[in-house]
Amino acid sequence: MAGKTIVITSGKGGVGKTTSSANIGTALAMQGNKVCLIDADIGLRNLDVVMGLENRIVYDIVDVVENNCRLEQAMIRDKRYDGLYLLPAAQTRDKTSVTPFQMKELVDELKEEMDYVVVDSPAGIEQGFKNAIAGADRAIIVTTPEISAVRDADRIIGLLEAEGLRDPEVIINRIRADMVERGDMMGIDDMIEILAIDLIGIVPEDEGIVVSTNKGEPIALNDKAKAGQAYRNIARRIMGEDLPMMPLEKDNFITRFKKLVGLS
Amino acid sequence: MASVFSFQAVSDGIVMNFRDGSTFGSIKQAVSLHTAEASDFFTGVNLYLNLSGLELAYEQLEELMELVKGYNQVNKIYFTARKIKKEEKSEENYSDAVIINRTLRSGQRVKHQANVVIVGDVNPGAEVIAGGDIIVFGRLRGVVHAGAGGSKDSQVAALKLNPTQLRISSLIARSPDDSDSSKLQAERAYIENDQIMVEKI
Repeated sequence: MAGKTIVITSGKGGVGKTTSSANIGTALAMQGNKVCLIDADIGLRNLDVVMGLENRIVYDIVDVVENNCRLEQAMIRDKRYDGLYLLPAAQTRDKTSVTPFQMKELVDELKEEMDYVVVDSPAGIEQGFKNAIAGADRAIIVTTPEISAVRDADRIIGLLEAEGLRDPEVIINRIRADMVERGDMMGIDDMIEILAIDLIGIVPEDEGIVVSTNKGEPIALNDKAKAGQAYRNIARRIMGEDLPMMPLEKDNFITRFKKLVGLS
Repeated sequence: MASVFSFQAVSDGIVMNFRDGSTFGSIKQAVSLHTAEASDFFTGVNLYLNLSGLELAYEQLEELMELVKGYNQVNKIYFTARKIKKEEKSEENYSDAVIINRTLRSGQRVKHQANVVIVGDVNPGAEVIAGGDIIVFGRLRGVVHAGAGGSKDSQVAALKLNPTQLRISSLIARSPDDSDSSKLQAERAYIENDQIMVEKI
């Protein structure tokens, strides 16, 4: 059974594409899916670090397209879930080492084996982005509640439409309920009004993300973290479940204290 | 070659106009080439050589006369010095409009010589340039330029007029910094007394 390819993209850098890819991939695997994560950020690979798989890399995506190895040899099996794989990017090459055509062939081959192929796109709209979206069936755009990130997301939606990827969905990342309430941060409604696409998840700002990224343990594995719950919900929505959005919780003293206790 | 002279049809023949500032050398070359290539060009009609703006010495005129003999069966050849009539600008035709049935997103740009109608929003970072009017059935938040060809009669209308920048003809305006009520209120911008005016509709 052929699976689906999902590209995670944003235009702007630093909004959480890699974190989202790692967590969505992990959460999909937690649900029992066979998942392959592809790091399309050739030259600036990060997904392996976030997944905690850096020291297992022997071959990478460029080796595969240049036929230096077979596809299975480059795929790293995750240390936690059997059905989760990572195809890492090359670090010593650049975006032009792979063409969109090669990427599409690669993704199509992977799709035969997998339930989901999750492609982590690089920032920008140049070749790296074009590679990442080649062969994608579905696009998820990550944005943060900042004008610049929303503007770039809007640009990306237009570019995706031009490439025939219709109806992308959006993840609003790093939102802070208290700031929204004070009127210091764009609200979800404001952002959806501009972007006019479906919302697939809201991820609250969470210090735990930094910790989990540094440890190489996706936060989706953490039962107690709000952000982890948000990513697990996104994975279930990707699988077609109709889950309501998690209500935003104000980050006040009590919740911060609870989190502290919960984490420690 | 065509840049040295141009033709203009008149009731009984054809006027051959020489471009201002052409040297006699280039005229000679162009005409001799034309006689060689299209010797039947003036067959049966009068040829008016328009010397307006040219200063020719007696010998040069003789040389030119010799050259135009290269045309076959010309009815009559005249020398004249008439003002070259500038082709009148054809009345700009605003009747046709392009209709865009989607939202324009950041980085997308529509350019059309007449009217543009957008059924959808124009998001920040998008650009619409029209020779005529721009009408947006949605929120206008990007940059628009109506009457880009210079027409001051052009106007911009939107269900929510909140553009990053609004240009009509050669005038530029932007939304006031505090105009962010999300309520839809159709408005129209136009030029009056060399100023961009906005009114509710």
